[in-house]
Amino acid sequence: MARFRTTLRTRLTLLYISLLCVVLVLYAASTSIFVWQGLLRQMDLSLDRDLETVENLIALMPDGSIVVNTGDQEGVLLLEVWSASGTLIYQSADLKGQLLGAPVKKEDPTHPANRSLRLANKMQVRVMTRPHRLGNQSVVVRLGVSENALRVEFGQLVAALTLGLPIALLLAGVTGYFVALRALRPLDSMARRAKQINAEHLNERLVLENPDDELGHLGTAFNETLARLEHSFEQLKQFTADASHELRTPLTAMRSVGEVALQNGGDTQYHHDVIGSMLEEVNRLTHLVDNLMILARADSGRIPLQRGEVGLLELATESAVLLEVLAEEKKQSVQIEGDESLTVIGDRLILRQALVAIIHNAVKYSPPQGSIRVRVGTRNGDALVEIHDSGPGIAREHHAKVFERFYRVDKARTRGEGGSGLGLSIADWGVRAHGGQIELECYEHSGCTFRIRLPQNGSSGPSS
Amino acid sequence: MKILIVEDEPKVGKALTEGLKANGDEVTLAQTGEDGFFLASSHSFDLIVLDVMLPGRSGIEVLKTLRKQGLQVPVLLLTAKDSIEDRVLGLDAGADDYLVKPFAFPELRARLRALLRRGKTETIVSLKLGTLEMDLTTRLVTRDARPIELTVREFELLEFLLRNKGRVVSREMLARDVWKESNRATPLDNVIDVHIARLRRKVDDEFERKLVRTVRGVGFMLSEDER
Repeated sequence: MARFRTTLRTRLTLLYISLLCVVLVLYAASTSIFVWQGLLRQMDLSLDRDLETVENLIALMPDGSIVVNTGDQEGVLLLEVWSASGTLIYQSADLKGQLLGAPVKKEDPTHPANRSLRLANKMQVRVMTRPHRLGNQSVVVRLGVSENALRVEFGQLVAALTLGLPIALLLAGVTGYFVALRALRPLDSMARRAKQINAEHLNERLVLENPDDELGHLGTAFNETLARLEHSFEQLKQFTADASHELRTPLTAMRSVGEVALQNGGDTQYHHDVIGSMLEEVNRLTHLVDNLMILARADSGRIPLQRGEVGLLELATESAVLLEVLAEEKKQSVQIEGDESLTVIGDRLILRQALVAIIHNAVKYSPPQGSIRVRVGTRNGDALVEIHDSGPGIAREHHAKVFERFYRVDKARTRGEGGSGLGLSIADWGVRAHGGQIELECYEHSGCTFRIRLPQNGSSGPSS
Repeated sequence: MKILIVEDEPKVGKALTEGLKANGDEVTLAQTGEDGFFLASSHSFDLIVLDVMLPGRSGIEVLKTLRKQGLQVPVLLLTAKDSIEDRVLGLDAGADDYLVKPFAFPELRARLRALLRRGKTETIVSLKLGTLEMDLTTRLVTRDARPIELTVREFELLEFLLRNKGRVVSREMLARDVWKESNRATPLDNVIDVHIARLRRKVDDEFERKLVRTVRGVGFMLSEDER
């Protein structure tokens, strides 16, 4: 029962009924007041006419007494005639000695003109008071009429309204409940379907009856979330597969080298070589795991940026100098130019790591005697560091993937020269963490430009 | 030198023990935090190598308690977590140095030597190996009395190798101590190899007796012995 009460459609229906109840009660009340006042007005009009008739029936006797010629008139006559000075001159027999309200006051004889009151015999009457000229004498005439008929009529109206209210509410409630049930039914089916979607069926989507209504919006948003989830999941699967491959390769090398050495025996020199070769693989694994750790921490946003002012030209020069010998070995030229005063707010170590990775990449892929140009500048308010290599270029379809983990354009170029395949991923993360991005532009046979774009105001990135 | 190793992983513990014993040190191995704490507080050691991840009582807790009891022995922490918070946590607890697993054994030895040397002022003004001489004040390097021109980086590299002569120096140590690179992910291996090759050209090429040696899979060593 408690569970039933908490469903949205029940809550909606209850809310709907409560609101309707308040509205209906207000409506009934105001209608009643309005009708009651209308009835009273009507009654006063007819009372006015009656009074006029009665006035014509009043006659003043020579002795100063008053006679009312009721003749053959039917019904009850409730009539009083007062002198202007406030004495009761005449009272009809039907009043049986009761007064129609308080005695008339001399100062303000006709007040109040109309009023309702209850006589001693429990009769509810409407009384009208009016001055009248009788010959040369001023009198005040008070006529009363029973309100019974009016009250009965009004009572029927109120009864009808009171009885109708719960019936209307019940009807509205039932209808409202089913309308809500119907409107929310797609939600139920969406929930059922969503429950069935798990890691193995991430490609499934919710079926939307009407994508344009509110539920449709919800469903669309849910489907978009699912799509992103599916994409991330695919990336994760790909990453896991790549990572295990990268981890397995050095492990395989170590294993076979060790096994062969055990089988062959051999002298100390040979064993030294074997152990050395295994240690090389261990170093490779260590580097790989170090890089994976950085990416894992970056992914979970656990690398806080140590922000400070960073001079970009100086940082680029420092990174290039670090790798200068590699370029020298290949007789490549490295040129660095740009605005010396250009600074950004950021984490020096992380930005340096990104620059080192990209310059390293440029040295690696530029041919011997090639040239590498590093340029620091601004564009549209962003700080730029462009690293142009003279490598073979990268086909457009690979551009987006260059920054993916373990991605290598040239599949054959693995390990050894190729590095861990994580450098550019880490660089990409580092620049993104600063709210920037790395753009890649390649030219036919004249190399690629990696353009690091950083916001100059040092606006915060996603993982700060 | 008496060294206490607290390490729960048997293979690592055994390798460390044997490696340091081969070096002529007296080594005690404890496999739990409790044992380590008991040994450290009841015996006197010159150095303690303490693993952070220990069953029961963590290395950090052991270290804090030891320091609270006023134990002044230099402590080197071994940690598998390479993040700034972990380092700060370890150093705050009273560690003198830390090393991230996996580490190169020569680096561990170098760190331990550095810890023992700590506080002692060095007055070395020149380094020497065979006929190779390095004057640290004039920055003059000679072999067989013939001067050798070195760049600043090459000088620093040779100085580091000379200070560690007869011992293997890993690329990690060079990256950290010569290149002052704190980030393990920076790809310096190729850079270091090129510098070593250049140094070798200048120091060894014209001489019959080669001094710069490559120890495959580990690093480099400056030594007069052929092996």
